[in-house]
Amino acid sequence: MKTVGTEINPRPRGGYNARRRTSQTGWLFVLIPVLMISIFYFYPMVQAFILSLKSGRGSNLSFVGADNYIRLFSDANFITAVKNTFIYLIVQVPIMLVLAIFIAVLLNDDRLKFKGFFRTAIFLPTVTSLVAYSVVFKYMFGPDGIVNKFLLNLHLIQDPIQWITDPFWAKVTIIIAITWRFTGYNMIFYLSSLQNIDKSVYEAARIDGAGAITQFFKITIPLLKPIILFTTITSTIGTLQLFDEVVNITKGGPGNATMSISQYIYNLSFEYTPDFGYAATVSYSIVLMVVILTMLQNKIGGDKR
Amino acid sequence: MFLFTNLKGVYALKKLLSILLASAVVLSACSTGAKDSGSGGEGAAANTKEITVWAWDPAFNIAAMNVAKETYANINPDVKINIVENAQADIVQKLNTGLNSGSTKGLPNIVLIEDYRAQSFLQAYPDAFHDLTDVVKAADFADYKIGPTSVDGKQYGVPFDSGVTGMYVRTDYLEQAGYKLEDLKDIDWKKYIEIGKAVKEKTGKSMITLDPNDLGLIRMMIQSAGSWYTAEDGQKPTIADNAALKEAFALYKEMMDAGIVKVNSDWSQFVGFINSGEVATVPTGNWITPSIKAEASQSGKWAVAPIPKLGETQGSVHASNLGGSSWYVLNMDGKEAAAEFLAKTFASNVEMYQTLNSKIGVIGTLKAAASGEAYAAADEFFQGQKVVSDFAAWTEQIPNVNYGMNTYAIEDILVVAMQNYLGGKDLDTVLKDAQAQADTQIQ
Repeated sequence: MKTVGTEINPRPRGGYNARRRTSQTGWLFVLIPVLMISIFYFYPMVQAFILSLKSGRGSNLSFVGADNYIRLFSDANFITAVKNTFIYLIVQVPIMLVLAIFIAVLLNDDRLKFKGFFRTAIFLPTVTSLVAYSVVFKYMFGPDGIVNKFLLNLHLIQDPIQWITDPFWAKVTIIIAITWRFTGYNMIFYLSSLQNIDKSVYEAARIDGAGAITQFFKITIPLLKPIILFTTITSTIGTLQLFDEVVNITKGGPGNATMSISQYIYNLSFEYTPDFGYAATVSYSIVLMVVILTMLQNKIGGDKR
Repeated sequence: MFLFTNLKGVYALKKLLSILLASAVVLSACSTGAKDSGSGGEGAAANTKEITVWAWDPAFNIAAMNVAKETYANINPDVKINIVENAQADIVQKLNTGLNSGSTKGLPNIVLIEDYRAQSFLQAYPDAFHDLTDVVKAADFADYKIGPTSVDGKQYGVPFDSGVTGMYVRTDYLEQAGYKLEDLKDIDWKKYIEIGKAVKEKTGKSMITLDPNDLGLIRMMIQSAGSWYTAEDGQKPTIADNAALKEAFALYKEMMDAGIVKVNSDWSQFVGFINSGEVATVPTGNWITPSIKAEASQSGKWAVAPIPKLGETQGSVHASNLGGSSWYVLNMDGKEAAAEFLAKTFASNVEMYQTLNSKIGVIGTLKAAASGEAYAAADEFFQGQKVVSDFAAWTEQIPNVNYGMNTYAIEDILVVAMQNYLGGKDLDTVLKDAQAQADTQIQ
């Protein structure tokens, strides 16, 4: 309360000098994050790029120039890992986002009872540890796991499905797992955005005779567009970096049927005789893919402004 | 008021900045310093008699190290031995990152490394390990252990446990199928599959449990014929024209097609199927003994036969190796104390190996240890069979192969090849493709 008097004083006490000092202070505050980001982000990024131009076993690294980048194109393991990752991306991200919007709209309904309970229940998977839930999924989907027992007892299948050891079903298992884990997370974004849409917009639409489906496609979806773009980009990046689930549920197998790019980087660094240079090259390929995909998505889904 | 707080902020900021700067300088100094000195060695202060050991598996390796620690306490009580348990994957990861940074800070004095990975470490980090040639007499140990633990005639590792394989058999299931234990001795894998079909038919039990991601069975089969994924130099992949590997692949598929395999996807399922009586035989390394014995109610139902051999490949024997590891000393402060400790325990102490065997079930690779009394003991769990002396005898027959540094890289390629082969592709084509891929990947 005491400071009110000084604050409303139209003439700053110190004049020019004080203002300059204030702006200096501002810059100093900006300096901290800039320095931190430079030391902890940009410096490692540059170092990683330099590393990606080297190759060799363990500490015997030597410069090979662009050889590592050329090697990517003839590396069958890398190509399989990219293919797998894109299968997850193309199948899983749309399923998850559609589910998330659908659930968000349901949970936003005014007539719904126990809203808090449902919202918590659907968001809860997001707070579980990646490793912990992966291990649980692995056992649920095992040959004698609860999922197979359930399906067998319902007589939906004759023989247990090899969820973990069949190349096709293993991918399905991974997709089910990530969808379970991240749908709630994306749902929260949609829900908060839905609550910002003015109710009067829907009221007006109803008066004009628009049904629920028309309202959804003509009002809800267009108004959610920025959030849809945002969740698409974050989900894409997340999927490209997929690691924990694959390692813990299938170990990338059978063969390399579920191996993700990140897991291949891990294998190159720690599973095989380490080649950190080539591993860094593979990491940079992810960066490149993220940049390209994000640009594409911005172009397609972003505002024209 | 406003100005004052502001100044305070600037002051704090300056302080913070100077700390940041200082730490940046220190950090860079650390890294360059370590690179220059090579041996690093900030880990333990000079002249301290504290040795840190990293190993995995508390029931086996850690327990064995504890026995050695107790033994050494009587010999040299001044040395404090600090045993740290880590998962194997964590040890591999920490060693790789630590050694690659060029600093030995935070690394142990003694580390356990799996034989398949040993050459990868020894050759990727040439000066990181301490030469133990003076401490370990290679001739004292089983021949096949020397390949992985030495480079260019220099001995770097103290060979530890034997991965000698045997075929654990449920004799009760066999009898129901009309076979005796004798019928499983000195057979080839073809005969094994035949018996497997009979067992499956009569008892409904699978003959074997396999993890499609782990080609341990293949490795076991080819080493029994003195063959490996790579040539004798440990470098050149030998996949396409490898008779042993081709026969092993064909047998693997035959087993799958015969319906005698219970598929598992990890270690706990593997052990689970054994303990719950789902499988009739377990051809694997002797380190499975404690896990089999864990199911006490099956005492008297098991026996151990030598593994079958490859029928078509020349020179295949009834003995092979699976897994097994050895102790290594890092080239840093405290290496002399660590080498001395290993010299007095794992590298020579016959008496200690008797304790290791009777208490933990370790079958060492020190030749002299096999003549001790613990090795001759009969095991009631295995119907009074002298299991340890059998294993010790088979250990001597294991063909010596060079695992090279790319076992796991090639295995990942072969796992895919196996999937393709099981899926119906031609065996020769599959192996030729795998060879081509291995040739490009391993440089």
